Amino acid sequence: MLGYTLRRVAGTIPVLFMVSLLIFALVQFAPGDPVDMLVSDEATEEVRLAIRAAWGLDQPVYVQYLTFLKNAVMGDFGQSFRYREPVMQLILERLPASLELAIYSTLLAVAIGLPLGVWAASRPNSIVDTVGSIGGFFGISLPNFWLGILLILLFAGTFNLLPSGGRETWGLNVERVTGFLTVDAIIAGRWDALWDSLRHLALPVVVLGTNMTGIIMQITRASVLENLQEDYVMTARAKGMSGRVVLWRHAFRNALIAVITIIGLEFGTLISGAIIVETVFSWPGIGYLLLQGISFRDFPLITGLVLVYTTLFVLINLAIDMIYTIVDPRIRMG
Amino acid sequence: MMKAIKRILLLGGAAAAMAGGAAQQVQAQKSDQITVAITEGITGNNPYADSVVLIGSIWCQVYGCLTRWDFETGKFVPFLAESLEPEDDLNWILTLRADWKRHNGEPVVAADVIHSIERSRNDPESMSQASVQYIEKAEALDDRRLRITTTQKMATLPNYLATMQITSKKIYDEHGAKVADREHPVGAGPYRLVEVGIGSHIVIERVDDHPMVEPTNPKRIIYRMMAEPEQRVTALANGEVQIAQGIPPQLVSRVQQLPNATAEMVDSAEAMFIAMSPKTAPWDNPKVRQAVCHAINREGIARAILGNQVTLLNGPVGAGQLGFDPAYVSPIDYNPDKARKLLEEAGAVGASVDLYSPVGRYIADRQIAEAVIPMLQDVGFKATLQTPEWATLWTNVQRGDTPFYYMGRGNMLDPSPALAQYFETDASPRLKYSNPEVDALLQAERQEFDPEKRVAMLSKAMTAITEDAPACFLWLHKLSWGVAKGVDYKPSKADRVNGWEIHLR
Repeated sequence: MLGYTLRRVAGTIPVLFMVSLLIFALVQFAPGDPVDMLVSDEATEEVRLAIRAAWGLDQPVYVQYLTFLKNAVMGDFGQSFRYREPVMQLILERLPASLELAIYSTLLAVAIGLPLGVWAASRPNSIVDTVGSIGGFFGISLPNFWLGILLILLFAGTFNLLPSGGRETWGLNVERVTGFLTVDAIIAGRWDALWDSLRHLALPVVVLGTNMTGIIMQITRASVLENLQEDYVMTARAKGMSGRVVLWRHAFRNALIAVITIIGLEFGTLISGAIIVETVFSWPGIGYLLLQGISFRDFPLITGLVLVYTTLFVLINLAIDMIYTIVDPRIRMG
Repeated sequence: MMKAIKRILLLGGAAAAMAGGAAQQVQAQKSDQITVAITEGITGNNPYADSVVLIGSIWCQVYGCLTRWDFETGKFVPFLAESLEPEDDLNWILTLRADWKRHNGEPVVAADVIHSIERSRNDPESMSQASVQYIEKAEALDDRRLRITTTQKMATLPNYLATMQITSKKIYDEHGAKVADREHPVGAGPYRLVEVGIGSHIVIERVDDHPMVEPTNPKRIIYRMMAEPEQRVTALANGEVQIAQGIPPQLVSRVQQLPNATAEMVDSAEAMFIAMSPKTAPWDNPKVRQAVCHAINREGIARAILGNQVTLLNGPVGAGQLGFDPAYVSPIDYNPDKARKLLEEAGAVGASVDLYSPVGRYIADRQIAEAVIPMLQDVGFKATLQTPEWATLWTNVQRGDTPFYYMGRGNMLDPSPALAQYFETDASPRLKYSNPEVDALLQAERQEFDPEKRVAMLSKAMTAITEDAPACFLWLHKLSWGVAKGVDYKPSKADRVNGWEIHLR
């Protein structure tokens, strides 16, 4: 297990190198000049040249890349053009916000999508199956920005039950330990802050979770249904096992491999793809940071964020591989 | 099953009651503070490193700036500076007021001003170099007075210095820029800095004994970044924020119908125009440029797309801006027949032109550009619309690679720098326009210390530009702000939200 893990981690190094090269080339050759985003409207050409030199943008591209690579190896992605702070610091400040959002959304989606999928598979072509399938398709199809704004209008506007955005009410002053506000509030014993965090999480979690719920529901249904038609299920039934045992202990367990794969992939997508939801809800995560980086041609920020996303994806895939061995002991690593 | 449904409904009701209760509790806690929803986030703690006007105004509230524009009198009035007077053609004497101290009790001294000029010029993170580009040197005469020497005769120096924050040299020398800005933001403004959340919020707190504040000004102001207009309006409706910036035309009526808020309008100081670079055909022919201006039905666009929330322009500036001549009537009216005739005279019927427009940068920018295209086609142009992403378009405009574009130019209270930038020969590549008459007038007005003579020269230069039509001046957008009832706040042209201008009832 350890050897396999180390080999997988070592295998990410060339991947990260290739990704860094690709992203660096893409952002360098994309139209738009970061200097135009850095200076005021009234800046003269001399000022522009000075800024270009100060940020090393007057160097040949390969020199810029090698400098970036040398520092990145040490975990230093350079300074953000826009925020003038170390990129790594900016990412670490915001990553917990995105992770917290993704984790709660995944929990919501799994809690709803999984049982619904199994339920629908156990009663194919029934009303439950039809309604569940239609609901699942709706979940997959609803655009995040539309659903987000709709929920803001309803629950923050019309009913005035929840905040329209942001991550916390200013002034609660809970000590940051993990960066996960719900966890930090529990550690500090601040139930008011926990309640505040949950209220802020509610709408973006529902928006992100809706899409994922639909996908998990559909995959679970298809996978369980496929397993229910296997010979071993017929054998189990012939041996007199109850329908519930056959469904949950045999068919569902064998269907889990596909479901876990999808949950892992979707979780990675949630972390990297929450840009729209983070923007709509003013959520201070790395998705919104990436959007700002792209808008302002903030090369170090874009490259640093993409490398972090890549690393997260690799780690999530590794975690999925490990979970496979728990779910299905026939699978061995190595 | 029914039992389960009842249980869920009961739990939902309890949660709703708790949520509502919590919202009311939060409101009660915040009776002496207000939250302002803004459209752009703060980039960091360095007061010289942000070019957004509203963010700059927050730094002015914390550190204090030298002068500020008074909209009632239409001139710069003292802030930290008691006076700023020309000594001769190149030298100005700046006198600091004696009665204002920093938040730590120390005085603001001439050395701080010199230090701030140097930081604006040399700080690697500064975006304020342009405001000191004409300052050759600054020297202290005593603790309160200093002499500023300009590189050329500059009547517009107060304009350039108005937005410069005056930070402490002593604190900078002791701690360096980063630590000074983050841990010792000790200013002399009416509010002190409490917290900066990069990209998300900034919090300031009233300095109770400051001469500029009154007990009715908010004790604390939270400027909170909200990119989505729907979110800003909803937050205003549910009491999360008390002032909301940038309400788009389609949401103004919704704000006006809110029981707890109203929409306040003010003309912006940002001229919207369509630029045509005379270095590129067919824009090298003034008749073709004039044809474009005659072809655009500004009233129609204002009515159909912008809900009439604009003030149409007769030139680069409107009422309340320097050089505005209320008696001037532009000959460039909406007249498609004249446009067709001009195009025929220029031999440019059927000329292919690409109009470049940003998307989402200005109010309804894409829709406006889409409306302009058929108007141009109607008079004989073969016009198409291009909408590149902002960073790409802006870079190409800065380099002079985009000959025909829809754009805005802000900070036009005193239009002198903006006019020079776009319309003076070789001042910048944005338009590549050259007109000896305009050059002479702009250079002369910059050097004229007599305000009346200067305004007359500015007006003359703007008339010449308008009629030669290197740009069609369209309108000033009316900026719409949502303001909660119980908050007295009249937004200003300058897109600033100053605590001392807000009163809580």
